[in-house]
Amino acid sequence: MKSSIKGNKGLPYLLIGPACILILIFKICPILYTLVEGFTYKGSFGLGTYALLFQDPSFYKSLWVTIKMNLVITPLQIVLAVGMALLVNTTVKGIGVFRTILYLPVTISITVATMLWGMMFNANNGIINSILSIFGMAKQGFLTDVNQAIWCIIVIATWIGVGYWMIFLLAGLKNIDEAIYESARIDGAGWFTRLFRITLPMIKNVLLFVLVADTTTNLLLFVPMQLLTEGGPQGSTNVLMYEGYKSAFLYVDRPRSAAIVTVLLLLISLVCIIQFKLFEEKDEKRIKKENKEPRLAAKKRGRIR
Amino acid sequence: MKKETRLKVLSTYLALILLVLIMLFPLLWGLSASFRSDQELFEYALPFTIHTLLPVKATLSSYVEVFTEYHFLKPILNTLFVSICTVVLGCIVDSLAAFAFATFDFRFKKVIFAVILVSFMIPFESIALPLYAVVNKLGMVNSFAALIVPCMADGLVLFLFTQFFKELPEGLLEAARVDGASWPVIFVKILLPLSKPVFITAGLMIFINQWNAYLWPLVAARSADVMQIQTAMGVFQQQHSTKWSAMYAASIITALIPLGLFLPFQKYYIQGIANSGIKG
Repeated sequence: MKSSIKGNKGLPYLLIGPACILILIFKICPILYTLVEGFTYKGSFGLGTYALLFQDPSFYKSLWVTIKMNLVITPLQIVLAVGMALLVNTTVKGIGVFRTILYLPVTISITVATMLWGMMFNANNGIINSILSIFGMAKQGFLTDVNQAIWCIIVIATWIGVGYWMIFLLAGLKNIDEAIYESARIDGAGWFTRLFRITLPMIKNVLLFVLVADTTTNLLLFVPMQLLTEGGPQGSTNVLMYEGYKSAFLYVDRPRSAAIVTVLLLLISLVCIIQFKLFEEKDEKRIKKENKEPRLAAKKRGRIR
Repeated sequence: MKKETRLKVLSTYLALILLVLIMLFPLLWGLSASFRSDQELFEYALPFTIHTLLPVKATLSSYVEVFTEYHFLKPILNTLFVSICTVVLGCIVDSLAAFAFATFDFRFKKVIFAVILVSFMIPFESIALPLYAVVNKLGMVNSFAALIVPCMADGLVLFLFTQFFKELPEGLLEAARVDGASWPVIFVKILLPLSKPVFITAGLMIFINQWNAYLWPLVAARSADVMQIQTAMGVFQQQHSTKWSAMYAASIITALIPLGLFLPFQKYYIQGIANSGIKG
C-alpha cells in the first residue's frame, strides 16, 4: 500500500488520536513522573532523594546483586537460545513437534513458572533433591542457601526465556540462503568455521535485538524474588527492581522507588548503548580488515558465494 | 543413507529428546503432582522411587479444592473479562492508528510514529510503579478500567498492524476510492476481511500478555472484586505455601488457558513475534 493517498485533512489525526492519547497518558506521563518524583525531596525540588540513596549501603548491595546476576543470565540465555535455534533449524522428521514443545514455556506466565519451580527447588521435599539423591547427593538448600538462591532464580528465568529468544533467532536463521552453506561445505569449512564466519554474522541484527531485549527483560526481573525469596537469603537475591517495588509498596517511600527506577532505566540504556557500539565496532573492524587485505577478502567472499 | 549422516541424524534426535525432556519436565511433573495429595507428595519425595514421580492413587480433589475452597473461579472469570476487553479495544485502537500510519500522509507522521516506537521499547515493568500514581490520580485504582485502559494502546501491536497494512497490494484502496467508497466502508469492507491473520496474531499477543500479567494487577487491582488470576496465584503461594497439590493444580489450570489458545494458532503467534524482531 502506498502512503500517498490523500484523505480528509483531519481524518488521520482522528484515527491516531485515541492511540496517541493513551500512550501520552499511560506511557509518557509515568516516565516523566518518575524523573520528576526522583528529584522531589520532602515536598520540594532537590537532590535529597538521590543523596540518601547513594549513601545507602543496601542500595549498592542491591545494585551489585543486579549486575552480578545479569552478567551470568544474559550470556547464558543467548548461548542456549542460539544453540537451541541451531538444533531446531535442522530438517529431521518430526522437527515441528519438537519445536512446538520448546515453544510451550513461552506462553506460561512467570508466576506459574515461579510456583512450579519453587516447589521443585524446595529444600525438604522438592523433586530436584529427590532426583539428586539418585546420584547420591545430599539435600541441597537451593532457595534457602545464600550461594544457591540466585542460581535457582537464573534457572527459572532461563526456562521461560530461552524458547522466546529462540523464536527470533530461528526466524533469522531461516532467512539465510542454504546455498551459502553448500559452497562453504564444498570448500571444506568445518562446523565452527561455518558458525562463526557465516551463521552468526548473517543473523547479526537479530542477535543484537535479542541481546538488547533480553538484557532489558532480565534487568527488570522481579517475580521470583517477590514470591520465593523476598530478596533473601541475606539479600543475595535482592535485585534493584525488587528494591524499587519494596520502596514503593512496603516502605511507602515513593521518591526512593522513583529514584531506583530511574537508575534502572539509566542502567538499561547504558548497557544497550554499549551493546550497539560493540556490534558497530566489530562491523567497522571487519570492513577495515577487508580493505587492508582486499585479495584475501575477495577470495573469502568468492568462496562463500 | 551414508553412515556418517545417519549418525548425525541420530545424535540430533538424541539432543532434541534430551532438550525436550528438560523443558517439559516442570510441566509434566506439575501435572502429575496435581493429581496427588499433599501427604503423598511429601511421603514419596525421598528415597527416589517410581512413586516419587507418579501418583500412587490419582485424585481430582486438589482441582475441586482450588475452586470450592480457594475460590479461583472468580479471578479466572475476571481475567477472561479483562483479557477479552483488552483484545477487542486494543485491536480497534491499534488497527485504526496503524491504518492511518500506513495509508495517509500527514504532518508529524514520522515523528509521532517514532515516539510511539521508542515509548514501547521502555518495558511495562519499569513504569508500572509510576503508572500507579497516574492511574491513582484518575481514580481508577481497583477497577477493571485500571487493567484494561493502560494496556489498550500497544506499540508492538500497532507496529505489526502498520507493517501488515503497508504490505497489502497497492492500488487496492485507490480503486475503491475512485469507485466512491468512503473511508469507513473501505476499512470495514476491504481491509478487515484481508487482515484476518494479523488480527489473530495481535489478539493472541494481547490476550496472552494480559492473562499472564502479574506486576501491574498486583499493584493496581488488589481488591477481591477485580483480582486477576496471576495475582490470586501469588497471594495463594504466600498464604498457603504448604498446600502443594492445590498449588500444582492452580498452576496447571492457569497455564492451560494460554496453552489452549496457543496450540491451534501457533503459526500466527510465532510469526508475529518473529516479525517484530526482524523488522523492528
